[in-house]
Amino acid sequence: MTTWRRLDPLSRTGLVCLVVLVLAALAGSVFGLGGNPDGIVGSRLAPPSWQWPLGTDQLGRSMLPRVLEGIGTTLLLSTLAVLVTASLSTVLGIVAGYRGGWLAELVLRMVDVLYSFPTIVLAILVAAVLGPGQAATLCSIVLVTIPLMTRLVRTAAMTVSERDYITSAVISGVGWWRILARHVLPNVSGTIAVQGTYALSVGILVEGGLSFLGFGVQPPESSLGVLIQQGGIYLLAAPWLLAFPGVVLVVAILAINVFGDGLRDRLEPRESRSLV
Amino acid sequence: MRLLSWWARRLLSAVLTLFVVSVLIFAASRLMPGGFAEVVLGPFAGPDQRAAVSAKYGLDQSLVVQYGLWLAAAVKGDLGTSLLSGEPVAGEFLLRIPVTVELTVLGIAAAVLIGIPLGVYTAVRAGQRGGGALGRLAGGLGVSVPEFVLGSLVVFVFSRYALGLTVGGYRPLGEDVGANLRSMVLPAAVLSVFAIAVTARTTRDAVLNVLVEPYITASVARGEAPLAIIRRHVLRNASIPILVVLTTITAYLLGGAVIIENLFNLPGVGSYVVQAVGRRDYAVVQAGVLLAAAVFVVLTMLADATSGVLDPRLGKAVR
Amino acid sequence: MTLLEVDQLVVDYGAVRALDGATLSVARGETVGIVGESGSGKSTLGSAIGGLLPKAAEVTGGEVKVDGSVVGSMSARELRALRSTRLGYVFQEPIGSLDPTMRIGRQVALALRGRASRADVLDRLATVKLADPARVARGYPHQLSGGMAQRVAIAMAMAAEPELLIADEPTAALDSQVRDEVLDLVFALAAEAGTTILWLSHDLPAVARRCSRVAVMYGGRVVESGPASAVLAEPRHPYTAALAGSVPGAVSEGQRLVAIPGQPPVLSGASPGCSFAPRCPAVLESCAGERPRSHVSGGHDVLCHRASETVGAAR
Repeated sequence: MTTWRRLDPLSRTGLVCLVVLVLAALAGSVFGLGGNPDGIVGSRLAPPSWQWPLGTDQLGRSMLPRVLEGIGTTLLLSTLAVLVTASLSTVLGIVAGYRGGWLAELVLRMVDVLYSFPTIVLAILVAAVLGPGQAATLCSIVLVTIPLMTRLVRTAAMTVSERDYITSAVISGVGWWRILARHVLPNVSGTIAVQGTYALSVGILVEGGLSFLGFGVQPPESSLGVLIQQGGIYLLAAPWLLAFPGVVLVVAILAINVFGDGLRDRLEPRESRSLV
Repeated sequence: MRLLSWWARRLLSAVLTLFVVSVLIFAASRLMPGGFAEVVLGPFAGPDQRAAVSAKYGLDQSLVVQYGLWLAAAVKGDLGTSLLSGEPVAGEFLLRIPVTVELTVLGIAAAVLIGIPLGVYTAVRAGQRGGGALGRLAGGLGVSVPEFVLGSLVVFVFSRYALGLTVGGYRPLGEDVGANLRSMVLPAAVLSVFAIAVTARTTRDAVLNVLVEPYITASVARGEAPLAIIRRHVLRNASIPILVVLTTITAYLLGGAVIIENLFNLPGVGSYVVQAVGRRDYAVVQAGVLLAAAVFVVLTMLADATSGVLDPRLGKAVR
Repeated sequence: MTLLEVDQLVVDYGAVRALDGATLSVARGETVGIVGESGSGKSTLGSAIGGLLPKAAEVTGGEVKVDGSVVGSMSARELRALRSTRLGYVFQEPIGSLDPTMRIGRQVALALRGRASRADVLDRLATVKLADPARVARGYPHQLSGGMAQRVAIAMAMAAEPELLIADEPTAALDSQVRDEVLDLVFALAAEAGTTILWLSHDLPAVARRCSRVAVMYGGRVVESGPASAVLAEPRHPYTAALAGSVPGAVSEGQRLVAIPGQPPVLSGASPGCSFAPRCPAVLESCAGERPRSHVSGGHDVLCHRASETVGAAR
C-alpha cells in the first residue's frame, strides 16, 4: 500500500496494466472467458466481430481465448523463471559480495562466461540442447537474466557489508547467517525488486523471441510469442492475428519497465542539477 | 612494463572466459540429440566418413582428448564442416559476415548519432515541468517494442505499400549499392529503434549521475555556458557506461541480429545459425556461438582499455 | 556601500523549508563569516546568491540582490555574467570540485576564460603557493592531495578577481594542519584583489578570529549578526551564546555549556515562533508562538524575544 502511494502516476498506470493482464489471463483459464481456446468455432481468418472480438485464426479458432491463454503462459513462464533467477542471484550475489575470496571470484567468472553469450544466441543454444519447448524457454530466461542480477546484488551486498552496523554485529559475535538474514538481505531486497521487475520484461522478450523463431513454446500450446509467430505467416491476409498479441506483448513489457523505473526512482532518489 | 602486465592480466582473463565458454559449447554439443559424428557429418554419412571423423577428432579416445582436438582445430580456424553444404563452416561464415557487419555499422551509427544526443537532452531537461512522463513513455516504448513485433509491422506496411524500399531481396553491397541500401534500410531502421532507445536510456542515466557531481556545480558557479559544460565536462565523465552499452550492442549485433535477419531474409550470420539449429547442422551452431562469444570477449577487452584512456583514474591501471 | 543584500529569503525543498526568511547585508570589502550547524540553511543561502540552487529547491519568498540587481529575475545570460565576473565559489569537496577527466592546467585555463597561455596558468597556480605548478598543471585531480586540490580550486575561483567570494566550508574536508594555510591564502588573495569574503562555517571561534563580521544562522534564519569580536565576546542570542561557549543570563558565570541538547529543527513551513525555542535554556512563553523580530542594539542585529534582557545581562 505504501509502495502504491509513493509511486508516480505513470508507474501506477503500469502496475494497473499488469494487474489487468493477470486478471484477463485468469478470466480466460479459470472462468473460460471467450470460450475454449482449442475449439474450432467458425470460418477461418475471420476479422474481429461481435461474435469473435479478436477474429479467428487459420484453423477457425476464436482468437480471444487464445490470446488470454497466451498471456497466461507467457506471464507464468516469465514469472517462474524470474523467481528462479531471483533466488539464485540472491544467494550467489550475497555470497560473492559478502564473503569475497575465491568463491566470489568463481561466481564472477561464471557470470562473465554467461554474459559473453548474446541473449538470443544463448537461448537458441539452450533450445538446441534441451529441445524446443517450455522447459527450454524457462531455462533460457534464467540463464539470460542471472548474470546482471547477480552482479548488482553482489554490489549491493558489498556496500552493505562495509557499513558500521554490520561491523559491530560481527564484532559482537553474531553468526554470519544471522547477519545475512537480519541485515544484508533486507538491504539488498530493493535491488532484487527493481532488477526482478526488469528481468520479468526481459523474460517476456526472450519467450517471445524464442517462440517467434520456433524454438520456444510449441503450438498447439499458446503463448504470446507463438501467436505472434503464427500471425506473421498470415500477416498480409489477416493482420489482426499478429496485431492483438503484439499489442498485448508491448503493453506488458512497457508496463513492467515503467513500473520498474518508478520503483527504482523511489528506492534510489536523486537530485538533479540545472545547468542554467 | 606496467602496460604489459595490465594487458597480460586482461588477456589471461579473456582467454580464461573463452576457455570456459568453449567447454560449455563442447559439453552442449555432446548433450545435443544425436552423437558427435552426426553433429559433424549429419545422419546420412557413410561408414568411411564416420571413420575419418573418428580419426580426426579421436572419438574413440577420452572426452578430454576429444575436447583438446576439437579446440585445437577450432583455434586453427577449422570449425568443422556444414552437413548441409558440405563446405567448411569457417568459409560459410566468411560469406555471411559482410551482411552482419553492415547491419551492425548502421545500427551503431544510429545509436551514436541519435541515441547519445537524445539521452543527453532528456537528462539535462529532467525534472523540468512538462514532457517528463511523455519522454519516459516514448523512451520506454523504444526499449519495450520487441524487434519481432516492430519488424512484423514494418514488413506488413512495406509489403502493402512499397514506398520505394524493399522487404527482403537482399543484394550484396559490392553488386549494387542502391539496391543494397534499399534492402538494408528497413532492417537497419527496425534494429536502430532498440539500439537508439537503449543508448539514450543509458546516456540519460549516466549524464544524470554526472550532473549531481560537485565539479558540475563548480563549473556552473564559474559561469560556464550549458553547452560548454556538456561538451567539456559531462560527456567525457559519462562516457564509460555509454561505451559499455555500445560495446554490448555491437557484440549483440555482430553475434547475429538473429530475429531481424530472419524476418527480412538477410543472409547474415544470425539467420544462418537459426537455420542451422532448425536443420540440426550442429557444427554451424557450435561455431556461431563460439564466434559470438569471442567477439564479445574481444570487444569488452577493447572497451576496458578505452575506459582507461577516458578516465585517468582508471587509466593508472592501464598505463 | 552594500554589495550583497539578502532580504527575507524563503527557500523550500518540496515540503521542507531550508530558508525561513533569512536577512543579511554585506558591504563591499567586508569579510563575513556565516556560522551554523548543518541544516541551518547556510549552504542554501550561499547557493542562492549565485542562483545555484538545485532543481528541487524553489525560492518562495524574499530576494537576493548583488550590487543592486535582483538575482531571481536575471536571465540565464545575466546569471552567467554574474557568476563569471562578480562571484567566486569555493566548495567543501576540493577533489570532487575538479573535473576528474581533465588536466589541472586546462581547468585553470578554462577558469581564466580559455584565453590563458601556459605561462598565465602556471602564474595562477604559483599565486596559490603550489610548490611545483608545472607538475600540478600536468596532473589530474586524483593525483593531488586535498590541500593542493583546494588551492587549485581557490586559484580558479579567484581567476576573474571576483567582487564576492563565497567559500562554503572550504576546509571541512582537509587535514587540520593545512586548514590554516588554506584560510590564510584565501584571505590574503581576497585582500589583494579587493574581494569581499562570505565564509560559511560551523566553527564560530575560528570565523570570529578572521572575519570582520559574523552572522549566525539557525532554522533558516540569521538569528544574530554583528562585528565579529562583539558577537563572540557578548553574544545576544542564546544560540550564539551556546556556540560561543556560554549562555548569559540563564547559566551562572563560569559554568560551561558542553553541547546544546536537542536537534536542529526540520521546518515544513514558516516557523510559528522562534525555531530555537525547544532547545533554548532561556525560553519564554511567547517564544513558541510568536516569531521574534529583529532587534538592533550595540551593533548587533538579533532575532530573540529576550534580546533587550540579554543586553542587560551582558552588561
